[in-house]
Amino acid sequence: MPPHPPLPGELREAVRGTIAAVLVQPLESVTDDAALMRDLGAESIDMLDLVFRLEEVLGRKIPTGRWEAYLRSHLVGLDPTAAITTDFVVAFVEEEKRRP
Amino acid sequence: MSESVVVTGVGVVTPLGVGLEAFTDSLRHGRSGVRRIDTFDCRHLETQIAASVPAASFDPAAFVRPPKLVKLMNRAAQFAVAAARMACDDAGLGPDAVDPLRLGVSLGAGGMGLLDGDLLESQALAVLAAAAEGGGDRFDVAAFTRSYRERTNPLTGLRALPNLAAAHVAIQHGARGPNSTVATACTAGTQAIGDAVRLLRDGQVDVMLAGGADATINPMGILGFGMLGTLSRRNEEPEAASRPFERSRDGFVLGEGAAVLVLERESLARARGARIRAEVLGYAATCDAYRITDERPDAAGAAAAVRGCLQDAGIGPAEVDYVNAHGTSTPMNDRIETAVMKEVFGARAAQVPISSTKSMLGHLLAAAGAVEMAACVLCLEAGFLPPTINLVEPDPECDLDYVPHRARVARFDTALSNSFGFGGQNACLLIRRYPGN
Repeated sequence: MPPHPPLPGELREAVRGTIAAVLVQPLESVTDDAALMRDLGAESIDMLDLVFRLEEVLGRKIPTGRWEAYLRSHLVGLDPTAAITTDFVVAFVEEEKRRP
Repeated sequence: MSESVVVTGVGVVTPLGVGLEAFTDSLRHGRSGVRRIDTFDCRHLETQIAASVPAASFDPAAFVRPPKLVKLMNRAAQFAVAAARMACDDAGLGPDAVDPLRLGVSLGAGGMGLLDGDLLESQALAVLAAAAEGGGDRFDVAAFTRSYRERTNPLTGLRALPNLAAAHVAIQHGARGPNSTVATACTAGTQAIGDAVRLLRDGQVDVMLAGGADATINPMGILGFGMLGTLSRRNEEPEAASRPFERSRDGFVLGEGAAVLVLERESLARARGARIRAEVLGYAATCDAYRITDERPDAAGAAAAVRGCLQDAGIGPAEVDYVNAHGTSTPMNDRIETAVMKEVFGARAAQVPISSTKSMLGHLLAAAGAVEMAACVLCLEAGFLPPTINLVEPDPECDLDYVPHRARVARFDTALSNSFGFGGQNACLLIRRYPGN
């Protein structure tokens, strides 16, 4: 676990790096609006891998079900394959970081 | 009369080379793939030798599309996928060559599931963390589950499932036909190929990717087989440890790797202009139904498998030119296998060359039968008999022609491959030179 959680700019870069590592994609392709499934080849189990590795980025556990709950509340009426973008994941991590 | 089944492609990942050229060359030169184990600290193990696929010779990512899928594959699955890719390339089997629903996969698989390599470690670390939290010297399941859940990537469990190697091969090649995994240990590779042959003869499929993969060179693999007294302990002379039929043999050497064959119905192979490497003429499988590790002393189960295979092939013992032995280098197998050969071949037994490629490769368990079938196909084409190396002083009870020391130039037309495994399963395949080759 890192000694302190990353600062905002660092956070985005850490998330980008994690997405690139999980999906074995070049970092350059992990743009803010890149959709993980539509553009970067992600499938459902990659999300499990991603959330696990994001715990290291955050420096703390992400309780089971939290990512799924975030999807349910933020994807209403949207197509997940297009809507789960780098920005989407960064927003999730920032929300997690703000929790006590 | 069912149609003939032919081999149009071969792919291998072995301790003697990755790819047909390297593998065949090693067999021709009688090289040994056995080394001191250097992939984990084996100093407290009684057996410290194995035949690994050298890291420098194998890059899994080179054979997987997209490369992201490598993380879902255990080592055996990586071997299987690589061997299948090379086999399909060898067969010239492109993405549109076959109706996907008539392209199937049949693989032998082994391993120890959650006790393999990194999977064992993730559990061990969780146990240690739980103990450090005050579990003391008993196995605190509750603390272990909490610790494991916290530290372990959820995808880990997917690498423990033996059926996923065949699933990955299917994904790589769009093989939507029958997909099966055979788990009969030392016999699995042979049985997986035999099952594939039967499906093809039945006309249910047009092409099968068939073979086996295994990667059990890890602490639990060595402990499991070692504590049963089945592994060689000739640690100071690794290359000499696998010595089938030899007087001072003391057990088998664990190997790892994979082989996949592209098997087709003959009419399809000819229609698409494929180069045919050999014909698979016969297959049979039996079980000793005797004991878990001892073979029947009268070798009745093994003999029945050999006879059944010849009968299935429609040939007599006199027409067998070469035998690739199971030849594990255990005191028991090699003696009994010799007796089986004498019983089936009668007076002619001493004239039928029988060699054990396990002398060079070690025992690849679920991959053994497949790699040995690949060796038969390649050696038949190349015109040499692979040797039994390390045959310094033959066991007096083993007095056949084991092609000792050096490969022997020989044009032969038929080859019988034996696999006799733990659990008493026996399986044999017979191949023949394709007419005109």
